[in-house]
Amino acid sequence: MAEDAVDVLIIGAGAAGAAMAWSLADTRMKIVCLEQGDWMDPARYPTNGMDWEMRRFGDFGLSPNGRGRSEDYPVNDAESPIKASMFAAVGGSTILYAAHFPRLHPSDFRVRSLDGVAEDWPLDYQTLAPWYDLNARMMGVAGLAGDPAYPDKEVPLPPVPLGKLGETLARGLNELGWHWWPSDSAIATTEYDGRAPCINLGPCIMGCAQGAKASTDLTYWPKAVRSGVEVRPRCRVREITVSEDGMADGAIYYDADGAERRVRAEIVVVACNGIGTPRLLLNSKSKHFPDGLANRSGLVGRNLMFHPYGMVTGLFDEPLEGYMGPTGCCIMSQEFYETDASRGFLRGYTFETLRGMGPVSTALLGMGSGRVPWGDGHHQAFHELWDRTAGMVVICEDLPEEHNRVVLDPELVDSNGIPAPKLEYTLSDNSRRMLDHAVARGTEMLEASGAKETFHDAPLGVAGWHLMGTARMGTDPERSVVNPWGRSHDVPNLFIIDGSIFVTAGAVNPTNTIQALTLYIADTIKNNLSNLFD
Amino acid sequence: MSTTPQDPVFSAHHARALESVLDEIIPPSEDGRLPGAGELGLVAAIEAAVRKTPDLEPAVVQGLDALAEIAREAGAAEFSSLDREQRVAALHRIETSQPAFLPGLIFHSYCAYYQHGRVLEGLGMEPRPPYPLGYALAPSDPTLLDPVRARPKLYREV
Repeated sequence: MAEDAVDVLIIGAGAAGAAMAWSLADTRMKIVCLEQGDWMDPARYPTNGMDWEMRRFGDFGLSPNGRGRSEDYPVNDAESPIKASMFAAVGGSTILYAAHFPRLHPSDFRVRSLDGVAEDWPLDYQTLAPWYDLNARMMGVAGLAGDPAYPDKEVPLPPVPLGKLGETLARGLNELGWHWWPSDSAIATTEYDGRAPCINLGPCIMGCAQGAKASTDLTYWPKAVRSGVEVRPRCRVREITVSEDGMADGAIYYDADGAERRVRAEIVVVACNGIGTPRLLLNSKSKHFPDGLANRSGLVGRNLMFHPYGMVTGLFDEPLEGYMGPTGCCIMSQEFYETDASRGFLRGYTFETLRGMGPVSTALLGMGSGRVPWGDGHHQAFHELWDRTAGMVVICEDLPEEHNRVVLDPELVDSNGIPAPKLEYTLSDNSRRMLDHAVARGTEMLEASGAKETFHDAPLGVAGWHLMGTARMGTDPERSVVNPWGRSHDVPNLFIIDGSIFVTAGAVNPTNTIQALTLYIADTIKNNLSNLFD
Repeated sequence: MSTTPQDPVFSAHHARALESVLDEIIPPSEDGRLPGAGELGLVAAIEAAVRKTPDLEPAVVQGLDALAEIAREAGAAEFSSLDREQRVAALHRIETSQPAFLPGLIFHSYCAYYQHGRVLEGLGMEPRPPYPLGYALAPSDPTLLDPVRARPKLYREV
């Protein structure tokens, strides 16, 4: 088996892997990142072609199951009402994400102390604040200072424009006296750091042909590579190997030609997302770790948290120009974010407004709902829908529950024969009550905005974009997998840096927090290099 | 039926019938701004869909054959010879007798129709993909945020 040796092995080139690589590069250590996907070519993104809307049914679909990409591995999510959604590439799921980039709230780090459920994080918002600021500069976050829902924060770029659709919804929120604010978005609204500005293409969730959306192949990776970090694309890790003394000592992987290779490393960093990371650890069994690497607590894979999503859509009389503008980044409302037990549930949710649909999506919505018939009446019915829909998703906080977990499927394997992950997940009563409340408030908001009709869907099925909790951090090795700076309690040279380490989920998109945590962890590693394994 | 990218999927007879079917699925708009799906040449799109998903072909061919039979019963040479009212009635009839025929055709014709440049123009859009020109949005009205700015802090201190 071909073999080489490095100082630091990073597994996964997504949001976290990229930030770690960039930060550690100044140590001048030899750093290699293995990524099962490849570099993306923006010239091949859907918005280059007239068939762009159809590509969501194919290679730019949300689910790894059925996308037909060789880079994907299957996920058995049949027993979960929320289906997995992630993307393998240099840039990871940031290639497909909507770039909605809010921070957690200070209270999200103290859920146990404040609300008597879940756990407290072993760090707080103030600790992460400077790393959120750094990440905002590195990724190029657009937004507006002064949001009363947050402590003061750095926002380098002006906000994405609301457009007619956003202003319509904002007026509705003002009518109700509810909070709203332009979304913090990882989108360059002006030229920034060598990237062109956003030109409101619309479907950010199918890759940004303009390069304005901050995927890490455009932000952290070019800098990391210039500093000497090596990315090996199309390299799928089978297992992390362990030495006789129980330290991680590298990985076995399949290269682009399918050949088995070994890389030895002094430090191993896992950044494979909240499903991929526990899968890799559980597949890395040894005599030291018969239940999977770093799993003496038994918690690897457990406490899987999604964000249960709902979608509420309103039908309006006037055209809203909704097909223009970043699809998921417009305005958000955190009126119901903080806990108010009188609502009948604990914790809360965020509304994130959505732009409208393209013509094909409108027609298919009409077909599926029976609103747009074939034959007579088709055009009349289509025009009543076209460019007249606006709405939001509701992002509900998911509480950690040990029975919600990622395990290895007993039969399903990927194209290299590596056991695939299986999700065991049920929606809690708290989440159901929260979703009901959120849908009702969302309906109220759309009616206040002028919607003549509303419809909703909750929980959304293929909405498992946010994958958290499956290797959580903490100070107690029996109740957590990694310590407060991401180091495995069981393996002193093994670090985990993706959403797996989240203690609670908050009610916002996690990418900004994943990267802030990563920068904090990287800095801590650098400050402790001389005694890192003590 | 074996096909290559250059070989037609449907016979000339089936293709004529399919064009008429598509013109009933999405007929021309009454104001003339939007063509029918058949007139737009979307038989080619259905052929492309069948090449990608060969399982579609039997349902489409059987449905077209059933329509041809209905046409013969009515004394017409073929489905496209029927008048409009007869064609619509025939399609409604096979909705139950050939349940696999229409749903797939509707899906693929809706998809192909609403990405066609002529239709985009008819909808008031430019007949182009989003990139590289994008779209311009007017600057936002900053006074909309005044009520929110006036509110006290919303987050819990810890």
